[in-house]
Amino acid sequence: MEMNKVNADVQASDQVRSPSGFSILWREIVRDKVALISLILLILTCMFVYGISLFLDQGEIVKVDLFAIHEPPNDQFILGTDYGGRDVFGQLIIGTRNSLSIGILVTLISGTVGILLGLISGYFGGHIDNAAMRLVDFFMVLPTLMIVIVFVTIVSDYSIWSFSLIMSAFLWMGIARLIRSKALQERELDYVQASKTLGSSNFKIMFAQVLPNLSSIIIVTMTLNLAANIGIESGLSFLGFGFPESTPSLGTLISYARNPQTLEFRWWIWLPAAILILILMLAINNVGQALKRATDARQRRG
Amino acid sequence: MGKTKLMKALLALMLVLLVALAACSGDSDDGQSEGTDSGSDSGDSAEADDEGESDSESELYSIDDFNQIKTNEGEAIDGGTLTFGLVSDTAFEGTLNWNFYSGDPDAQILDWFDEALLTWDENYVYTNDGAATYEISEDGHVFTFTIGDNVNWHDGEPVTAEDWLFAHEVIGHPDYDGPRYGSDFTNIEGMEEYHAGEADTISGIKVIDDKTLEITYIQATPSLVTGSIWTYPLAKHIFGDMEVAEMSASPEVRENPIGFGPFKVESIVPGESVTMVKNEDYWRGEPNLDGVTVKVINPNVVVQELESGGVDTVSAFQVDQYPDNADMSNVEYLGRIDRSYSYIGFKLGTWDKENGEVVTDPEAKMADVNLRKAMWHAVDNTTVGERFYNGLRWNATTLIPPSHPEFHDDSNAGVSYDPEAAKQLLDEAGYVDVDGDNFRENPDGEELVINFASMSGGEVAEPLAQYYIQAWEQVGLNVQLLDGRLQEFNSFYDRVGQNGDDDPAVDIYSAAWGVGIDVDPRGLYGRDAIFNFSRYSSDKNDELLAAGVSEDAFELENRQKVYNEWQQFMIDEVPVFPTLYRSELVPVNNRVHNYYIGDGTNMYRYDIAVTQEEPIVAE
Repeated sequence: MEMNKVNADVQASDQVRSPSGFSILWREIVRDKVALISLILLILTCMFVYGISLFLDQGEIVKVDLFAIHEPPNDQFILGTDYGGRDVFGQLIIGTRNSLSIGILVTLISGTVGILLGLISGYFGGHIDNAAMRLVDFFMVLPTLMIVIVFVTIVSDYSIWSFSLIMSAFLWMGIARLIRSKALQERELDYVQASKTLGSSNFKIMFAQVLPNLSSIIIVTMTLNLAANIGIESGLSFLGFGFPESTPSLGTLISYARNPQTLEFRWWIWLPAAILILILMLAINNVGQALKRATDARQRRG
Repeated sequence: MGKTKLMKALLALMLVLLVALAACSGDSDDGQSEGTDSGSDSGDSAEADDEGESDSESELYSIDDFNQIKTNEGEAIDGGTLTFGLVSDTAFEGTLNWNFYSGDPDAQILDWFDEALLTWDENYVYTNDGAATYEISEDGHVFTFTIGDNVNWHDGEPVTAEDWLFAHEVIGHPDYDGPRYGSDFTNIEGMEEYHAGEADTISGIKVIDDKTLEITYIQATPSLVTGSIWTYPLAKHIFGDMEVAEMSASPEVRENPIGFGPFKVESIVPGESVTMVKNEDYWRGEPNLDGVTVKVINPNVVVQELESGGVDTVSAFQVDQYPDNADMSNVEYLGRIDRSYSYIGFKLGTWDKENGEVVTDPEAKMADVNLRKAMWHAVDNTTVGERFYNGLRWNATTLIPPSHPEFHDDSNAGVSYDPEAAKQLLDEAGYVDVDGDNFRENPDGEELVINFASMSGGEVAEPLAQYYIQAWEQVGLNVQLLDGRLQEFNSFYDRVGQNGDDDPAVDIYSAAWGVGIDVDPRGLYGRDAIFNFSRYSSDKNDELLAAGVSEDAFELENRQKVYNEWQQFMIDEVPVFPTLYRSELVPVNNRVHNYYIGDGTNMYRYDIAVTQEEPIVAE
C-alpha cells in the first residue's frame, strides 16, 4: 500500500513535470515579475562587470597615487579615490568581478563534490552511505569559518583558485546531504529498478538517469548557495582575511568603512560596494526563490 | 504582490539612506574648510604657499605648530574633577604598582597616583627637582640619594630609604614574577649574588639614614642618569611581611594600590575605570583638582567621546584622525615629537641562538651596500609624509630621531630622494637588466626578486607598502610582497626574527620601533641584540656603540660626537634606513588648565585645574 501511494504521487508529479523541468523553471521566473527583474538585473550586472573589466588593467587601478588621496567623485574619478589614491570605480568593477568569480567557482566546486558524494552515497546506500554520511557529519561539526581563516592565513600561494578551493573544502556538506536524500528516494523508483534489470551499469543509471531527475533541485540549491558564497567571501575580506587590497573585492571595499573617518566622511568608498552587494544578493535570492517554488507543484504560480 | 511592495520599501529605504549620508558628508566638508582657514594662520608662509599649489582637500600640518603645554583660557575654579580616557580595546590588567606592572594601560593609571622619586628634563637626564635629589661621586660609580622630608605615602607614613632598598630587594628576589629585573639591576654591585641567593643583602646598596640611600654601580655609564636607576620605592610597612611571589596578586596592588603621587585611588571597577581623589598631603602642595577619573574607552569612539565631553583628554590619539577633526571646537591639540620612527630593514644574516649574537652573512641577497642605498634613494618619504599623514609624519634622516634633540644630528641630511642616483648606483654595482623584462638582474645575471615583509594593521599599511614597491619598480627592482599579502602583527615579528628564528624568505621588511629614554642604540643595533632584525654587525659598529656608553661619554660633547659618527656610519652602511619620524598628538578639553604632555615641561599633575564643572561640548 505504502509503496503504491508513493508511486502514485510520483506519477502525478511526473505528468505535470512532463513539459520538461527547465521550461517550468523558466515559466515560473517569467510569471514572477520580481524574479524576472532580478534576473535581468543580474545578467546585466554580470555582462557589465565582466565586459568592462576586459578593458581595465588591474595593476593600473590598484596603483597607489600619492597625489590623488581621498578625492571625492569628480570627472576623472567617477566614484572618487580611496586612501591610496586608487580609483574606487575601477576597484568596484574588478572587485565585483572577483567576488562573483569566487562565488561562482566556490559554488561549482563545492556543488560538484557535494553532488558526486551525495549521489554515490544515496544510490548505493548501506556501508558506503554510512561512511559518506559520517564524513559529512565530521565536516559539519567543524567550526568552518575559523578553519577557513586559519588556512587562508597559512597558505603561501594566495590566489582566486586557492581561496576558492579552501572555501569549497568546507562548504560541500549541505548539498551532499540534500542530494543523498533525494537519490535515496529515487533509487526505490521503478525506472531505476527497471534499468537495473535491463543490465545498465550503475554509472549510467546514476549519471544519465537519476541525476537529470534531480537537476531542478540542484539548480535551486546552487543558486541559493551562490548568494551565500558571495556573502562569505565578502565577509572574510571584510574581516581582513580575504584578498590583499591589490586584488580588490566587494568585501575589501566595504572593509574600508571600518575606519570611522571613512565611514563618516567618505561615503563614496564603501557605499557603492555595499549597495551593489545588497542588489546582487537580493537578485540572486529572488531568482532562487522563484526556482524553488517551481520545483514544488503546490507553490507554483505559473 | 507582497514582494513587490517590499522591494519598493527597500528601494525607498536605500534612497533615504543615500540622502542622509550625502547630507552628513556635506556638513563635514564645510567644517573642514573652516578648519583650513584658521589652520593656515599659524603655519609659516612657505607652507601656506605649498598649500595653495596642492589641492584644497589635503592640508599640511607641522608638529612645530603644536605646543606641549595647554594654553589657559578663562579662570580656573577650585576643585572639579577631570576625566581621563584610557584608549584601549581591552580591559586594563590592574597591576597597579610600578614595581610589578607590565602593560602600558596600567602605567597610564599609575602616573596619576604614584610617581618616580627622581624627575628628568627634556633630554631625559635626572634632575634634582623631584621628591629626591642625587649626587654622583667623582668616579661616577656611587650615587647618593636624599628623599625629601615631606614625601609621604598616601597613608601618611614617610617614604624612606628603606622603602627604596626594599624595592630593589623585591625585584632582585629569585621569586619576583614581574618583568623589571634586567641589566639595570645587574649593574648594581652585589645584585647578582643576591639574585642567585648567595647573599642575604645587596652589598651595593646602603641605607645611610631614614632618608638617605647610597647605591654603587659596577659600570659607570652616561646611561645611568638617563633612566637606568630604579626610582620607584615599595612601601615596606605594607609589603614587608608578604611573600615576594604573592605581592603582585595582593589586594594592596590590585584593589587598594598605594603611592605618594598627587591623587589617591578611591575605587576601582576592574578593567573599566579608576576613581581617584586628591592627596591633600602631596609633597609639592595640595592639588587643584578634587579628583580624577580614569576610564577605558575604545579606540573607535575616541573622537566621539571627546566631542561629547565624555572625556577631557585621552592617553593616545591616532594622528591620521587629526585632519578630519582638526576643527573640533572644544579641544586644543597638544603635540610633540614621538620617540619612535618607521624604517625599512635589510636581512643581512641570521641569529645564532647558542651564542646569542648576530651572524652576518656576506653572501646575503641584500649584502651589496649599493643596492641598499639605491633602494633608499628610490623612495620619496617627504611626499609620503605629506600625502598619507598630512605632514604629521615626515622624512627621517638618521637612526636617532629628533625626540632626542641632544643627539639627533640636524646637520645630517641622510639620503635624499633621487631615483636617477639610484639607477646610477645600481648600474655601477652591476645590477642591470639582461633579459629585457624591465627588471634588473643581479651582477651574476640571475633574476633578482626581493621579498618584502610588511605588517598589516596600520591605517595606511597597504597603500604604503604598495607605494614602496612601485617606487622600487621605477628604478628597475622587482620587489614582491612576501606571500603576496601583508603579514599579521605577531607572525610578522616571528618571521622577521623576534624569537631568533629568522625566516629566510624575508629579504627586506618595514617596521617601526621606539628609542628608549636613553639614546643608547645597543638594544636595537648591537651585535648581541635579538631585536637587531637586520642581523647587521661590524667591528666599527661595535666600537662606536661601546664608545657611546663608555666613561668618556660622560662628557656630553664626546657622546654627541660618537653618536653623530654612528648616525653617519649607519647611513653609509644602510643595514636599515629610517623612513618616517612621527609625532604624537593629544587633544585636551578647553576647560582644562596646565595640562602637558612629554618630558621636561617643568609642570606637574597637581597643577592641573579646570574652568568649569563639566567638560565643554563641541559645537
